[in-house]
Amino acid sequence: MEIRELGGKQLELDEDGFIQDPAAWDEAVAAALAKTEGVDEMSEKHWKLVNYLRNYYLQFQMAPMIRKLCKETGFKLNEVYELFPSGPAKGACKVAGLPKPTGCV
Amino acid sequence: MEPSNTPLLDELEEGQWPSFVAQLKQAAEKSPAAADLLRQVERSYADNTGHWKRGGIVGVRGYGGGVVGRYSSLPEEFPGVKEFHTMRINEPAGFFYTTEKLRQLCDVWDQYGSGLLNLHGSTGDIILLGTTTENLQPCFDALTEVGFDLGGSGSALRTISCCVGQARCEYACIDTMDITYDLTMHFQSDIHRPSFPYKFKIKCSGCPNDCAAASARSDLAIIGVWRDAIQVDPQAVRQYVADGLNIIDQVVRRCPTWAVEWDAQTQELKINDADCTHCMHCINQMPKALRVGKQQGATLLVGGKAPVVKGAQIGSVLVPFIEMQPPYTEFKELLVKIIDWWAENGKNRERIGELIDRLGMAAFLQAIGRQPCAQMVNAPRANPYLFWKSEEVQQNG
Amino acid sequence: MAKNDIGPPNYRDMLPPIVRENYGRWRQHTIPQPGVLCHTSESGAVLTSVRVASPRLVSTDWVRQICALADQFCDGHIRFTTRHNVEFLVSEPAKVEPLLERLEAAGLMVGGVGNAISNVVHTQGWIHCKSAVTDASGLVKAVMDELHPYFTGKRDVPARLRVAVACCVNMCGACHCSDIAIVGIHRTVPRINHDMVSKSCEIPSTVASCPTGAVRPNPKLKSIDIVAEKCMYCGNCAAVCPAIDIMDPVNDGVSIWVGGKISNARTAPKFSRLAIPFLPNRPPRWPEVVEAVKNLVEVWRGNAKPGERMGEWIDRIGWERFFKLTGIPFTDKHIDDFTHATTTFRSTTQFRF
Repeated sequence: MEIRELGGKQLELDEDGFIQDPAAWDEAVAAALAKTEGVDEMSEKHWKLVNYLRNYYLQFQMAPMIRKLCKETGFKLNEVYELFPSGPAKGACKVAGLPKPTGCV
Repeated sequence: MEPSNTPLLDELEEGQWPSFVAQLKQAAEKSPAAADLLRQVERSYADNTGHWKRGGIVGVRGYGGGVVGRYSSLPEEFPGVKEFHTMRINEPAGFFYTTEKLRQLCDVWDQYGSGLLNLHGSTGDIILLGTTTENLQPCFDALTEVGFDLGGSGSALRTISCCVGQARCEYACIDTMDITYDLTMHFQSDIHRPSFPYKFKIKCSGCPNDCAAASARSDLAIIGVWRDAIQVDPQAVRQYVADGLNIIDQVVRRCPTWAVEWDAQTQELKINDADCTHCMHCINQMPKALRVGKQQGATLLVGGKAPVVKGAQIGSVLVPFIEMQPPYTEFKELLVKIIDWWAENGKNRERIGELIDRLGMAAFLQAIGRQPCAQMVNAPRANPYLFWKSEEVQQNG
Repeated sequence: MAKNDIGPPNYRDMLPPIVRENYGRWRQHTIPQPGVLCHTSESGAVLTSVRVASPRLVSTDWVRQICALADQFCDGHIRFTTRHNVEFLVSEPAKVEPLLERLEAAGLMVGGVGNAISNVVHTQGWIHCKSAVTDASGLVKAVMDELHPYFTGKRDVPARLRVAVACCVNMCGACHCSDIAIVGIHRTVPRINHDMVSKSCEIPSTVASCPTGAVRPNPKLKSIDIVAEKCMYCGNCAAVCPAIDIMDPVNDGVSIWVGGKISNARTAPKFSRLAIPFLPNRPPRWPEVVEAVKNLVEVWRGNAKPGERMGEWIDRIGWERFFKLTGIPFTDKHIDDFTHATTTFRSTTQFRF
């Protein structure tokens, strides 16, 4: 584990750069995490996606499936990758402060 | 001489079978990461447990998979494997290579990774074992320069693989390598950008011998078949018998449907093709004399998988016969329908076979627009609890 | 700059000329000697394939060594099989003998064709998998050091024998349909790091991951609990949630499964079935596992009819006789109690005493 300053807070990050305390998340933290994923400026579209993920997580304690995310935000999958080049799981979920999605079995 | 620091693994350098330890040591001479891998594995041999952390999500720009993140749980002790990620590289169909292409791959991997690889992983990819987060993107860039791309991981269409097919097998009823390459190119985004409930595997075998293990190991298996008569060369059959083949014991008696007859007097082989289930046995026994039929296509089986989560399944017949000619439009349209139904109805980490089990084969067939047929079952149902739709019965009050 | 979605190299550019010229035109084949296939085309062309064992985990130097041989004998082309063998494709018959000599000199083992034990399909094990109970490469090496005469054809077997090794019950690698499968298993309930669950796990996904409903939410701790009586140690929860640890070096072990097959020849594909529920996990040579596998091969070899695969042989003689002949005890562990259990119960008076 590593402690880094993000958005004015000292935060614990795992080796993939996901924050360890979902409660510590705020918009400044999100903007700082976005920079680590190659997103220098959070546009309205970025926020729309991140807020959707965040709200879904707060309601269901898990990340939505990708197709659901696309359907409910109206973004096509390639648009999600244009917004977050490292993809919805590694990119958008990280910026939204979600626990790390579990990968391949 | 210095005492070895890997006494347990050293024991596996002995013996006749090719030794992976020798490979680790060879790579360790050039790569500090491989050297620390060797030491960490020795540690596992000593304390009977693995030393990799779980989780790990890393990748390259524009892709949501293809790299499996891996971190040592003992990074202070084995700093060389602190980050030791796997890159899955989509293999050329049929696992054919020019030595030039393989050397290019090795050169890139020596520059950016541990110099260790699997040829190949269970799904079919070339598995490049062990690189750092920092090296992932440059390594990927260099790989694409020499013509390689990542394969699938996570909840995606996984890398497709196949048997040798028509490249070197007279049994192949379909062009497995072209099918594999065509589908791989057509569905690139589904391989690289996971968007399914869970993994989805496609494997393609040229005949019912199923050398690609498609029915056991893929969600959708494409297995070449014929539906007319086995081609017989009577003279060549007689030659097998003359050369000592016990045709009664080895062929006639082992035909599962008693479809083969041998008249010892006239030296004539008769195959009752209406009874034949194209199991391949007689052809396997006499490849010079018997050939697969001329009306060739594929059987599709759906739902094959390993145990996670609710138990292993062998794929079951979905389409008894489908023409497989480029550009494979009927197949592709069917695949999209299957995926769409699964994506719409599947839970997280639910494979297609488990979803069919949960919602019923009838619902699945209806959703993808296929008619049920008797080839799909070993036997019709024995229980009397049938579902009837309201339009199938008369309104009564 | 990276190019995305270029896909793999086009196989057409990878084919040796003889394969390109005779693609789809092969007529027949023979196995002139163990490990060697000889295919003849309609055109009259003859292609000799020499199959060689690989440890699957290889170094780039090993790949270059193989490539150098392929340059000399196969005009710079090489292929691999679905079971991790290397194939040298020789278009000039005069080069076959010299190649075989060079392979022998280089310590490369030729075999794995036809009625033989082919290379072992296996998983990553401790080399690279986070959920490995045991080391797959090591088990393969230990077992094949004993069984290689069946690969090279020095000793014959009644039929094909497909061995697979999986380092956990996820059974990556076709273990569930192999003649003999060696599978790492757990036997104890996973431990939970409650602090970590609340931070790094999706609790609903973890609960849903359990096939028996043993995982339940614990709202008080913002964590989960596992009902020990319901847990069958499958490890799914641990795969989904890194705060759950199922590794238990003292109790984890190795199980042996038999009788599965994939080919449709004669009989339908079938699952491998449990033969031995537990053997100790003892690297670097796994003596109990090697002994058990050897015993299975020897008993099958001594009793099966020519051409009869492990599962076909067992189907003919019956499981009760299989356990008697192999000397393996039949226990409560052999009776299924999961999803498709009742399909495995015998409902006939036809059996042997």
